[in-house]
Amino acid sequence: MSERLLEVTDLRTTFRTVTGSVPAVGGVSFDLKANETLGIVGESGSGKTVLARTIMGLQPRTNVEVTGSVLLNGHQVVGASERTMRTMWATEVAMVFQDPMTSLNPVMRIGRQIDETLRVRLGMDRRAAHDRALELLTMVGIPSAQSRYRAYPTELSGGMRQRVVIATALACSPKLLIADEPTTGLDVTIQAQILNLLDSLKQQLSMSVILITHDLGVVATRASRIIVMYAGRIVEMGDTRDIFYHHRMPYTRALLESSPKVTNTPHTRLAVIPGRPPNLSTPHPGCPFAPRCAYATERCHVEAPTLVAASAPGHRFACWNPLTETDHPEAR
Amino acid sequence: MSDERRPLLKVRDLTVTFGKGAHAVSAVAGVSFDIYEGETLGLVGESGCGKSTTGKALMKILTPSSGTVELDGVDITHQRGRALRHARTRMQMIFQDPISSLNPRRRVRGIVAEPLDAWKTVTGEQRDRLVDELLNQVGIDPEVYGDRYARQFSGGQCQRISIARALAMRPQFLICDEVVSALDVSVQAQILNLLEDLKAEYGLTLLFIAHDLAVVKNISDRVAVMYLGRIGEIGPSEVLYEAPAHPYTKFLLGAALEADPESATTGAVLEGEPPSPLDPPSGCRFRSRCPYATERCAIEEPVLTEVAPGHQVACHFPFIAQ
Repeated sequence: MSERLLEVTDLRTTFRTVTGSVPAVGGVSFDLKANETLGIVGESGSGKTVLARTIMGLQPRTNVEVTGSVLLNGHQVVGASERTMRTMWATEVAMVFQDPMTSLNPVMRIGRQIDETLRVRLGMDRRAAHDRALELLTMVGIPSAQSRYRAYPTELSGGMRQRVVIATALACSPKLLIADEPTTGLDVTIQAQILNLLDSLKQQLSMSVILITHDLGVVATRASRIIVMYAGRIVEMGDTRDIFYHHRMPYTRALLESSPKVTNTPHTRLAVIPGRPPNLSTPHPGCPFAPRCAYATERCHVEAPTLVAASAPGHRFACWNPLTETDHPEAR
Repeated sequence: MSDERRPLLKVRDLTVTFGKGAHAVSAVAGVSFDIYEGETLGLVGESGCGKSTTGKALMKILTPSSGTVELDGVDITHQRGRALRHARTRMQMIFQDPISSLNPRRRVRGIVAEPLDAWKTVTGEQRDRLVDELLNQVGIDPEVYGDRYARQFSGGQCQRISIARALAMRPQFLICDEVVSALDVSVQAQILNLLEDLKAEYGLTLLFIAHDLAVVKNISDRVAVMYLGRIGEIGPSEVLYEAPAHPYTKFLLGAALEADPESATTGAVLEGEPPSPLDPPSGCRFRSRCPYATERCAIEEPVLTEVAPGHQVACHFPFIAQ
């Protein structure tokens, strides 16, 4: 087992709003090994993006309370000043956001945006940065990088823009890349290209990747481990195969069953999770999924389950009435 | 196979061109298909391929530059004024972004009642009853939510309200343009099931436009695949998904991600991006990305040809099961 690159312990991110405090991330612990791809899956509002931004140290200081610990390659992120974070951004950790158009400066040529990172972070001179930027553009598969270097973001397609964002993120060879919904909004053929690119860059640069998505299909074949989030908490985590074939938490199963499959025959009735995700500003003492869960008992409504170990190593789930192995018709 | 069924909608050589002269873009460049009564036709393709433009041209939200659209045997392409307004009561469209398709400052009942008020087909009392019935059918409790404002609802609920509004005039034909792509999977499943229920109840015919291949397979009887303004392949869903005949369909399906760790990712990935519709390739529009393209593909544009009953492909070298 290789060393731990990232250790997150009891991380809580709470937003203070006029209507009360919202625990967007409510006590999350996990770790990440070097050169590993971890998938974080959840619906909108489950806290996956807030978690990623907290790990990046991107949360604003006002009206946000962050407690717990995030150890990134030995550096504590929680409570670190922006000055300290600046030394870690780009070189230790970098992030790719969902919408490439908003991550890029629309009035700056794309080459300059990559140059900027190299010159500021690595202190390269103009010429060296230029050459390295061209190299990066070629590495992320942008054809005729020389001419694209002078293009503005609006002149590129969505897929190309996302490649530029990836090039910028990788400019200073970070040890951890957090990709937050990197392919949402892209066409399937482009999505496949970007995911393949991330995979090969991960190998090439031997970095770790956290892949955040709402789409189980994205992580199924790309991540070695998966974390399922619901209402700001981890409800199940484990090796990808355990999550797909031996999940114990009813929410994980509901998520898997409600996504339509290409192999379904037309007019297949989809399994539905009734109701909607909970409103986090009104605290609920029990399991956050209990109001929507078919297996919920009285206990689920009053006492929140904690993560407990399943039979497979590293597989943990938070549920009072977990599914048993026999509940898995698709288990192999 | 489906020849004995009655086409509700006949689209012939539909072209929609934006702009003029050198800047003219044919977003839809000669598309022909039928939609049979009571079926769901899925329309898939990447962004910019003309799926939404096709949907809008059928509704005459956009004016086709040539071609015809026949609804129930009546050519609506050249209709205008009152006749067109009448035709539009029989077809409705639901859009991708449920929140922006509703006026945030109007109450739910008012939104759903709008078509009824515009046509004044029912009395006030009937109208109120009908609105409550529609809301109940889409799973919005009118007693609780009827007088709330549209801005107070989530995306999934807004989509339900849009569906109720679309059904108010009891249309025969419903165009769903990416109606679930902005929703979470759990909500997406609720809306897809709801559409299936309402389709049966109202005897609807659906055109389901989406980019998500799994969603389309789950809801459609037949599927049409568009690329750069043209239909590349059309056929029964199961045939098309199991034995795609057009190389583009094959690549598209290969790129679709299965929520299964054992699904193969080794499928060949389509290189490059669709070319600009401003300057489409000569001959077959897919040839610039097609690994099987030959000289013939550059010269001669393939036309939709039947390879099996109900299964048509526009390719000089289709994959056909021996």
